[in-house]
Amino acid sequence: MKRTTIPFGPQHPVLPEPLVLDLILEDEKVIDAIPTIGYIHRGLEMMVERVEYTEMGFVVERICGICSFMHGMGYCVSLEAIMNVEVPERARWLRLVWAEISRIQSHLLWLGLGADAFGFENLFMHCWRMREQILDIFEKTTGGRIIHSVNRIGGVKRDIADSELAAILAELQELGAAFKETARVFGTDPSIAHRLGGVGVLTKADALAVDAVGPMVRASGIATDTRLGGAFMYDQIDFEPVVETAGDCLARVLVRLREVDQSIDIIRQAIDKMPKGEGLPIENRPRGLPSGEVFTRLEQPRGEVVYYVKANGTKNLERFRARTPTFANIPAMIKLVKGCDLADVPNIILTIDPCISCTER
Amino acid sequence: MSFFSRSPWILHYDGSSCNGCDIEVLACLTPLYDVERFGVVNTGNPKHADILLVTGSVNERNIEIVRNLYRQMPDPKVVVAVGACACSGGIFARAYNVQGGIDKVIPVDVYVPGCAARPESIIDGVVQGIAALELKHRMTA
Amino acid sequence: MDTTAFLARVEEYHRDGWRLALINVTTVLPAAPAAHGAQTAVEAAAVGAAPLDGPGVFEIAWGFARGGEFKTIREQIEQGQSVPSISEFFGAAFLYENEIRELFGINVTGMGVDLKGQLYKTATRVPFSHGAVKARLAALAASAVKPS
Ligand code: SF4
Repeated sequence: MKRTTIPFGPQHPVLPEPLVLDLILEDEKVIDAIPTIGYIHRGLEMMVERVEYTEMGFVVERICGICSFMHGMGYCVSLEAIMNVEVPERARWLRLVWAEISRIQSHLLWLGLGADAFGFENLFMHCWRMREQILDIFEKTTGGRIIHSVNRIGGVKRDIADSELAAILAELQELGAAFKETARVFGTDPSIAHRLGGVGVLTKADALAVDAVGPMVRASGIATDTRLGGAFMYDQIDFEPVVETAGDCLARVLVRLREVDQSIDIIRQAIDKMPKGEGLPIENRPRGLPSGEVFTRLEQPRGEVVYYVKANGTKNLERFRARTPTFANIPAMIKLVKGCDLADVPNIILTIDPCISCTER
Repeated sequence: MSFFSRSPWILHYDGSSCNGCDIEVLACLTPLYDVERFGVVNTGNPKHADILLVTGSVNERNIEIVRNLYRQMPDPKVVVAVGACACSGGIFARAYNVQGGIDKVIPVDVYVPGCAARPESIIDGVVQGIAALELKHRMTA
Repeated sequence: MDTTAFLARVEEYHRDGWRLALINVTTVLPAAPAAHGAQTAVEAAAVGAAPLDGPGVFEIAWGFARGGEFKTIREQIEQGQSVPSISEFFGAAFLYENEIRELFGINVTGMGVDLKGQLYKTATRVPFSHGAVKARLAALAASAVKPS
């Protein structure tokens, strides 16, 4: 049997980002995959040395332009925990609303890229057209399409008027209804099922063994979701993790499809439950310098993210660390790629929804 | 109509960007902005490209790739740096693994500001890039 | 660190159904700059309270999650010492372990997959080693505009 090594990336048509895998093949079967990252490694964790803790949030937001809201939120939540700040209730609800809007944005983005990669340019366009509606909501409420900088340590910078919240909900529900048609194509088209069904199966046992997170494990029949931990107001929301059991590429698509609907419903509940009125406090600025450490976990669109922040009583943090979901999912990806056909590699890699700039920081 | 203005072919490379500018470049191709109506075609092959669109800064590892892509493009060629990172290194300029803007490695013709750069400015940058291409073409013809 | 006891604890986490959530390393600054009346690490370096003299210490935290619970095992080691790999129990550990070797210069023995220093390839070799951090802080202090 002939052994060949094929480099996948750094510039590959299915991925806008540079990820490199050295694929070792025996004929058409992949027998090993060796990851090399570092093309986007900036070293931003070291920025704490020169950027004060009040400004580090802006750097953290730019870990990734897709989850930028959630990164900003994770950073602020961590410092609030260290500095013992009580965040006003309305601000906590607003964060939840924005976080779920980010999830919809991210899933639409991914569904589009995925569709394009498996040959459905039209679906790509549909998903991204809907995504623009979400970005409009972001722009209206935060001022930014991609980078929002709306989180502050102690709360949020802007309120959203109640009337506007209602309008946003109506718009999202309308989008949800229109999305049904798109989702139907993803879920029922025979050629999509043919390309993705049964490909890259991550069994439940394997998913547990490689410590994967997010939609990746939920597609393998494990009902885990960091939001179930209840922090950040999720304890007042009624929701069940979206679970599929097949564990293949198609299941991972289906999980994300259903999570779009789920997020719209979570936003509905949040808007319903939050305290109403004008001029409610949305920020409680901390005093003094932070001292102490904390681990924070959030459920991002791609799965659990873990932040570690250590402050030593000066303006500069001693350590900031983000372990992003893609980092946790790379071992699973390598596991899936081993033993598959070369032609299936792009779909497998894509369906873990890799975010390389998150992974490398 | 001038020689290039009908259909500039674009090659997009993602340096060490945070994805923000990247995704905005992609958004330019989608229905709301739709640059294809100007005849802009996104290609993956440097030998076919007239305009190199770079997002993100250069770092230790991708510096060679940027240089290589540029070298492979036929003359005349134009480089558009999209976003603060590509222009100067942006917020990450001082991070240990970031060497700076794209102009550290290859000559840049158009700088598009913003963090993230808005699709409107990216399109504007491309349009200016076309003008630069036209000029270069006339100078060498 | 007591390697045998450490691995026994890791095995226990594994048996009890915990998931490896992260391995984090902190380059410990022996004298917190605050102790010298400085508000930033740069100021501290400027007043000569070099925060990084003395043996370089790293704090390593292995974080495990189970549902909403989160626990860590912590160890402090000195620069030059090594830690055992936990990939025997948690297969995904290899990525973190290769990372801490490249970024912090900590040698990990018995890694499941050895990427041979090819994961990141940074411009500064071992950017979070005590030497590298110290050099950056000193450069910052030297370039800081001093009030006259
Ligand atoms: S300019 Fe801003 S949005 Fe664009 S890649 Fe850099 S950090 Fe991200």
